[in-house]
Amino acid sequence: MAFPRRKAAGAWPYWALAFLFVVTMATAACEFASPGQPSGAADRSRWGTPAVFTPAHATAGDAIKSFFDSRPDTVAQPFDFSHQIHLSKGAVCTDCHTGVEQGPRAGLPNVNTCMICHSQIATDRPLIQQLTKMQEQGLDLNWNRVYDYQPQAHVRFNHAPHIRAKVACSTCHGNQAEQTVARRAVNMTMSFCVNCHKEKQASNDCLTCHY
Amino acid sequence: MAYRWGMAVDLDKCTGCEACVTACHAENNIPTVGSQQAARGRAMHWIRVERYYEGNFPDVRVKFRPVLCQQCDNAPCEAVCPTYAAHQNEDGLNAQVYNRCIGTRYCANACSYNVRFFNFFNPEWVKPLNLQLNPDVSIREVGVMEKCTFCVQRIKAAKITAKAEDRGLVDGVLQPACAQACPTTALIFGDLNDPNSRVARLSHSPRGSKLLEDLGAEPKITYLDKQPWHEPDTY
Repeated sequence: MAFPRRKAAGAWPYWALAFLFVVTMATAACEFASPGQPSGAADRSRWGTPAVFTPAHATAGDAIKSFFDSRPDTVAQPFDFSHQIHLSKGAVCTDCHTGVEQGPRAGLPNVNTCMICHSQIATDRPLIQQLTKMQEQGLDLNWNRVYDYQPQAHVRFNHAPHIRAKVACSTCHGNQAEQTVARRAVNMTMSFCVNCHKEKQASNDCLTCHY
Repeated sequence: MAYRWGMAVDLDKCTGCEACVTACHAENNIPTVGSQQAARGRAMHWIRVERYYEGNFPDVRVKFRPVLCQQCDNAPCEAVCPTYAAHQNEDGLNAQVYNRCIGTRYCANACSYNVRFFNFFNPEWVKPLNLQLNPDVSIREVGVMEKCTFCVQRIKAAKITAKAEDRGLVDGVLQPACAQACPTTALIFGDLNDPNSRVARLSHSPRGSKLLEDLGAEPKITYLDKQPWHEPDTY
């Protein structure tokens, strides 16, 4: 007597399989985005936290943008500052980015830093007069960051040891003498960091940067 | 020479005040999850103080044991990680790389000491607590595992300063938050490779033992205990 044959997989139409797959993946995605939630939940989870597409990206759009690394190289700044002019007059990076030799952050100059020189120099220019007015009113420049890391990159960077290791500012920030307002001249991917660390025989342990 | 970070915990000194737990939360941006989720086992404490009661009433004594990541040499958590997010670094730390972690939670299941914690939620801090976050420590997002790092941000900072000043690290100056906060100095942190460091000497003490030593994970944390503690002449 022959055993009853099990139905072959071909008995499931392909569209049904595809549909099942999509439903399963969508459910899994929802579960991952907000664990313990019924699927198809609202934008915010039970705990009031924003929904996520993946842990690193809030939405699918963010993930795609990040994958193709499409973000503008220029960042709008509140003040029309020119690196080119300052460097051509003999100023050096550390004059304004004073923290760079001491600690993790190079620091973005505030109005008072500008006025150290500009209370005397080029006081007739409209931009400088604007600065003077800002200082009198107690306002400050809120610069926008040009180089930054996604918080999800978990990268900790410290400027000081790099300066001590004689890494030129231009290695990571491009030739500022050619730039007016700073733009992202160098794309700081992980391989950019790792290659330089290899060359200089610096530590390439994960905990060097990620913690 | 490479460092090998370790710790000695003097149980006879520990008063169970939990200052280490508070300090750890503050230093490492560890979120709280609320009572409901804590009841479901989702609370995160990189260091906890376990209580053990010994003796019969009225002669009862309570014994405290701070438990943090044991920084095992032969770590069970590392072997099971499919993405090498959990790995041993050159200083003997059990590193957890958040970027690599895909949240399988295998490591938490493999860990014999229950010191690995999964982020079930994106952390949020009620205002104004968001202002006290440590900028030197990243904030872990939902879906990644986290654990005690021996305050690697402090180790890094100390190493960088030492290199800048062209000197070695001084034993006892570099401390993780828990050791720094301990009012009775029950937690002693240091370099096990330096035979003269306090922690290296204490880990060879006859009072010393390792937690769940027979499992063979070879922890780098030594628990010091008067043995046997409950003999009448000891108190």
